[in-house]
Amino acid sequence: MTKLKVENLKKSFGSLEVLKDLNVEIQEGEVVCIIGPSGSGKSTFLRCLNQLEDISGGKVIIDNNNLSDHSKNINKIRENIGMVFQHFNLFPHLTVLENITLAPKELKDQKEADIKKRALELLETVGLSEKANDYPNSLSGGQKQRVAIARALAMQPEIMLFDEPTSALDPEMVGDVLEVMQLLARQGMTMVVVTHEMGFAKEVADRVIFMDAGYIVEEGTPEEIFNNPTNERTKDFLNKILV
Amino acid sequence: MNIHKRSLFLTAIIMVLGLLLTVVSPQAASAKTKDGKYIIGTDVTFAPFEYQDTDGNYVGIDMDLLKAIAEDQGFEYEVKPLGFSASLQALETNQVDGMIAGMSINDERKATFDFSEPYFESGVVMAIGESDDSIKSYEDLAGKTVAVKTGTTGSAFAETLQKDINFKINTFEDSANMYEDVQAGNSDAAFEDYPVMAYALKNDRLKLKTPLDPEPGDKYGFAVNKDTNPELLEMFDAGLINVRANGKYQEILDTYIGEDAVSAASNVGFFGLIKENSSELLKGLGRTLLLTFVAFVIAAIVGLILGLFSASPNKALNIMASLYVDLFRGIPLIVLAFFIYFSIPQLLDLRLSATVAGIITLSLNTAAYIAELVRGGIQAVDSGQLEAARSLGLPYNVAMRKIVLPQAIKIMIPSFINQFVITLKDTSILSVIGIVELTQTGKIIISRTFSSGNMWLVVALMYLIVITILTKISNYLERRLNND
Repeated sequence: MTKLKVENLKKSFGSLEVLKDLNVEIQEGEVVCIIGPSGSGKSTFLRCLNQLEDISGGKVIIDNNNLSDHSKNINKIRENIGMVFQHFNLFPHLTVLENITLAPKELKDQKEADIKKRALELLETVGLSEKANDYPNSLSGGQKQRVAIARALAMQPEIMLFDEPTSALDPEMVGDVLEVMQLLARQGMTMVVVTHEMGFAKEVADRVIFMDAGYIVEEGTPEEIFNNPTNERTKDFLNKILV
Repeated sequence: MNIHKRSLFLTAIIMVLGLLLTVVSPQAASAKTKDGKYIIGTDVTFAPFEYQDTDGNYVGIDMDLLKAIAEDQGFEYEVKPLGFSASLQALETNQVDGMIAGMSINDERKATFDFSEPYFESGVVMAIGESDDSIKSYEDLAGKTVAVKTGTTGSAFAETLQKDINFKINTFEDSANMYEDVQAGNSDAAFEDYPVMAYALKNDRLKLKTPLDPEPGDKYGFAVNKDTNPELLEMFDAGLINVRANGKYQEILDTYIGEDAVSAASNVGFFGLIKENSSELLKGLGRTLLLTFVAFVIAAIVGLILGLFSASPNKALNIMASLYVDLFRGIPLIVLAFFIYFSIPQLLDLRLSATVAGIITLSLNTAAYIAELVRGGIQAVDSGQLEAARSLGLPYNVAMRKIVLPQAIKIMIPSFINQFVITLKDTSILSVIGIVELTQTGKIIISRTFSSGNMWLVVALMYLIVITILTKISNYLERRLNND
């Protein structure tokens, strides 16, 4: 079943055209990794999927809801799309537990005790139960990112967007975060991941999209992209990073 | 997102309007107060015609005469000591019904006001330093500096002299400052109405003398605005005839400028000055604090809304906020105070009390600065915070309230404390529209005691102590908050 459909998506910042006519279809439960050189428009593409960026043309359709249709409540749609940022963006004035429970308390019609219980379960899943009452500043980067994932999952979304989730981490922290993401993928979460972790893409992705200069240059299974790339630019990019 | 922006916009507009309406509750521009009293403008400092005695009551020839005439004619009135030039403007704009302030009747003023029959004959006299022997005639003023009081006959006389004799003119708002300037040696001579000078010289603290005889000729009159309150003028004239006939008039003159008249000013030292005037000074300080707190609370609310406007993604709101900030940051506080107190009532045909006008002035001005503080504070919060909150599905309003503002406010607290101190000090500017806050209280006491040296020291110390205490408390609270 098609979960997310992008048709002729265009995005410009002033006169600079960042995304040029993108078409993508993502199925329920699919894990899609987007790779490409910096400045290729990967993050902008991801941010268009939950309208953190207003799109300049085309359509983004999620569960048959057209995002640019103003009669649709974008907040309601966003509740269904979790997002994890490169720099975590945890709320520093709230404890780890409050970070996770804030949005469900505001938006979900559930008992506070249930929301808290679920938040603690999520913390256990990401391996940070003992940090519930700490403030984000006392956590390491990897811990912060795992809390951020728990925070997004607390809204029980059906799609998760990851914007370079490991790029700001020390190398020894990367594994813990990828492990959590891998677990999510195994549980059948629909995921769109912008990443430089080629190992993760190879191992976990159902499909890999290579973007360059605002275009989708090539897409296919990890096998196809990493072992038999057809486009010269894909080959060139992979040669540079997989020395 | 659009729906929510619009609802924020509407809420904010309603809040701003509500605030303005509560603040600008207009009084009708009728000639009298609600309870039928005439409002009479006068000077703050013009002994022996009007000055405040140690009990805080306005007394003097004008005050006693007005009282006697009102009793004789059976009308009620309320005195507003706004200062001389402010009273003139207030009369012209119908903020007051009449004015009595040792005002000379001249053709220029007759064009704007209607005058009573003269109730006093005065004249201008020149005062110089007690030990100054260099000035024996007006010609000796050549190359020197002369102090005058704005809008007075003395000032006009000095300007006439200036046509033939080359001297510089320093202009002051009240007599005490003018005398002090001569005593301090900044000015060489002052021109003053002679009864005022004669009365002031009874105080031996004043080291001045009058080497020449007064210039004869000036007549003082009670004034109303042109073609306004004619019945008040008629009553004044009729009453004046009666009090002259029954001896009351002479009695009043004897009280203030007769042979046995005593100056109200007492000679006391620094501590005596504080002790004698402590209740007045504390009342002034209280008013300063009240103005500051009320204006700051209003400004904080308006400024917060405007700051949210300018940080919002909505262009129309941005423009609204920046127009406001540009407008009120671009007008000097003193000009804004005059505009609101004198121009607005004239343009909108309503009447504002000085306190209300002062609070509006201070609120409008402070709100512009707070709006900028709030905008700066919000922008100092990482944009990722709002994005993370919105990506969870939180509406803009909730995201701002729960995520961005709590962080922004922490950043803004030191600037808020700073702005509060600035606002507190700015209240002193409101003395120009006659609000008796701490600075104006100081002026009034000086006009009675001629002790500007000690008095300004006392006033400065009072500001300093209060501001230091408030700053320490705020810093303590800030530290507590940050440790949480």
